[in-house]
Amino acid sequence: MEKYTLIITEKPDAAQRIAQALDSKGKPKKVEENGVPYFLAHRNRKLVVVPALGHLYTVAHERGRRNYYPVFNFKWVPRHLAERGAKQIRTWIETISKLANDAEDFIAACDYDIEGSLIGYCILKYGCENKEGVAKRMKFSTLTKSELEKAYDGPLSQLDFALIEAGKTRHEVDWLYGVNLSRALTSAARRWSGKYATLSTGRVQGPTLKFLIGRERVIRSFVPTPYWEIRAEVEIKKSTYEVEYERKRIEKRAEAEAVVKACTDKTGEIKKVDMREFHQKPPTPFDIGALQTEAYSLFRYTPRRTMGIAQRLYLDALISYPRTSSQKLPPVINYKNILKALSKEPAYKKLASKLLEKEELKPREGVKEDPAHPAVYPTGNLPERTLSDPEKNVWDLVVKRFMAVFGETAIKQGVKVSLEVNGHNFFLRGRQVLKEGWMQFYKPYVKAEEVLLPPIKEGETVRFKRVICDDKFTNPPPRYNPSSLLKKMDEYGIGTKATRADIIGTLYNRRYITEERIVVTDLGFDIIDILSNYAPRVISVKLTRELEKKMEQIQSNSEKRENILLEAVQQLKPQLEQLKEKEEPIGEVLSKAIKRVRMQERIIGNCPNCGTGKLMILYSRKTRKRFIGCTNYFKGICSTSFPLPQKGTAKPMGKNCGSCGWPLVRVQIKGRRPWRLCFNPDCPLKEERKKRNEMQNLQPGSPRKIL
Amino acid sequence: MKCRICNREALEKYCELHEKAYRNIVQKYDSWKRAMDVSWKEYLNEIAKNPYTGSWAKEVAEQLLKNEDR
Ligand SMILES: [Zn+2]
Ligand SMILES: [Zn+2]
Ligand SMILES: [Zn+2]
Repeated sequence: MEKYTLIITEKPDAAQRIAQALDSKGKPKKVEENGVPYFLAHRNRKLVVVPALGHLYTVAHERGRRNYYPVFNFKWVPRHLAERGAKQIRTWIETISKLANDAEDFIAACDYDIEGSLIGYCILKYGCENKEGVAKRMKFSTLTKSELEKAYDGPLSQLDFALIEAGKTRHEVDWLYGVNLSRALTSAARRWSGKYATLSTGRVQGPTLKFLIGRERVIRSFVPTPYWEIRAEVEIKKSTYEVEYERKRIEKRAEAEAVVKACTDKTGEIKKVDMREFHQKPPTPFDIGALQTEAYSLFRYTPRRTMGIAQRLYLDALISYPRTSSQKLPPVINYKNILKALSKEPAYKKLASKLLEKEELKPREGVKEDPAHPAVYPTGNLPERTLSDPEKNVWDLVVKRFMAVFGETAIKQGVKVSLEVNGHNFFLRGRQVLKEGWMQFYKPYVKAEEVLLPPIKEGETVRFKRVICDDKFTNPPPRYNPSSLLKKMDEYGIGTKATRADIIGTLYNRRYITEERIVVTDLGFDIIDILSNYAPRVISVKLTRELEKKMEQIQSNSEKRENILLEAVQQLKPQLEQLKEKEEPIGEVLSKAIKRVRMQERIIGNCPNCGTGKLMILYSRKTRKRFIGCTNYFKGICSTSFPLPQKGTAKPMGKNCGSCGWPLVRVQIKGRRPWRLCFNPDCPLKEERKKRNEMQNLQPGSPRKIL
Repeated sequence: MKCRICNREALEKYCELHEKAYRNIVQKYDSWKRAMDVSWKEYLNEIAKNPYTGSWAKEVAEQLLKNEDR
């Protein structure tokens, strides 16, 4: 049998790209075994390119009871042994192991970062009989043919053990925190109530939630105070302009009213015209955080969604590796070639050609660096398939940002005109772009927002047609949204660029937070209350950041995995003992919190009959049947009730019927699509449907499907 | 002792959370008086319906108003 090189990639899409790039004819053969795809290619020799499926191995407790804590002994195991629903992993590992038997050489070609390095390492060590010492490493930042060929022809002679060590440590430390704290909470709740409910927190989740709670407290106890703002409409050369009063806020109503009286219908004089030029440098290239922030403010994509889209574009070889913290674009990526390639796209032709005319292409760069990858940039490849709208948006954003960083400084002019009327001063402001510079490359993502003023000279008079006094109130600090929270986590140095978006997602999934403008739920409050009372060190933002820093130092060989694991255990142990000792009071608080959440989840909406009660999903003690009833029934005020289907699960949809406005219920029977059910017996939609069904001779009364 | 609003453990009248809101309410009354001529009750009414008032502060304001009526 012909010997071959086994190339291991992170995901199936990447395997296909890599096989295609390396095969001398560009046509690798796809094989599928037990649902695991791999690719046969020929270059200087036979290549077998096999993908992982993200992490195939994970940390698990070494021995001991399932729900016992504290646990500090662990080992790396195939994921299917530790997680439910990971059955596919077993055949996946078996297939790779079989391919490894006949392989002569090994190359790890997973994404070049902590996670990718660890994925490759685990497969080589545990799945290929300790090949981690002999394997080579392909290093690349894009999945373009030219870069992949280069990475294959000149691979790193060994795996990046410092990155691997850092990755291992991170997973192990996260496991220690997550498993112990979650078990402590879960077991306390179960001991009190006898019921099982999964409660979880993690090394980064806790501090992030605590941080949100700080803001939530300020908002919830906020009391606004009134103030007044004054603006005026003035007439200059037959046009009307709005001017603002010299004091932004007036704290007394009587004072504000006096200003209005003194200025209305009076003639003012232009005292001074101030002109100022200011220069605005081009933006810096995108690191992942900046891309996520920009995509949120422009398109409202959550950081997690943007990461997913960027990942997709990377796998299509349209952009470089997105999980980067770099704001640098080294010349080796070849700016000119990228721009030339981009100019084949009609939408970019003009802009790219303009940059190509420049004598020297020099990007504006930021200070942040990443040892593994440059900032996010377009590869110059054009899409081979039709991109979805979100994909198109993010790609366009990356392309235009790339071009903008090569642009020239923009020059703007600000004008501030001071007007005096009856002893009071007002300002008229204008803004104008004198030189567009980089801004022309970044449209429509940057707007000029010009306010043009007529020619004005000092000493001229103007009429104050109207003076307006606006009632205002001070506002509480804004709520965080997924994007601003991510930025804050970055600033505080908790979590990593690869994990932050997921951590925020987990807080939503656990129902510790809700809404886009983040609101902390009662359950979230209770969890942090408990942890700050009994285990304050595990939610300390400061300690979390310190640990994070030390873990990072492993990457540069200036810190050791053993030290950090020891430190983590030393931190955790006394805190867990404390939690264990206080299991009873903790269990009480948690059980009550869970009960409240479950009650909330059964509330459907306001009662349409009595108006003060709430409709809830209830269970009849007598018949054990499920129905909808009004909470005022228990007070003897209202006996409104509606039947519900008995099969499957029923939950409030949080939406109202488009036809009658009553709240909808979502019914789902296992293995079937969920229904939306309007339980209003007089809903016009129901009548309509009945008629239609009769006509079509369908089963009557079947609820409408959710698309 | 239990908080008059939420039944959590209370220090005096209110739990720690509602106590903070109560103190805010008392403290901000000065600014309101300076800004315009309002009585304590008018003030409570104003903040109870103001959209920027936080939910805990609102609960305290409503509770105080109920007491005023008695
Ligand atoms: Zn009712
Ligand atoms: Zn309806
Ligand atoms: Zn309270």
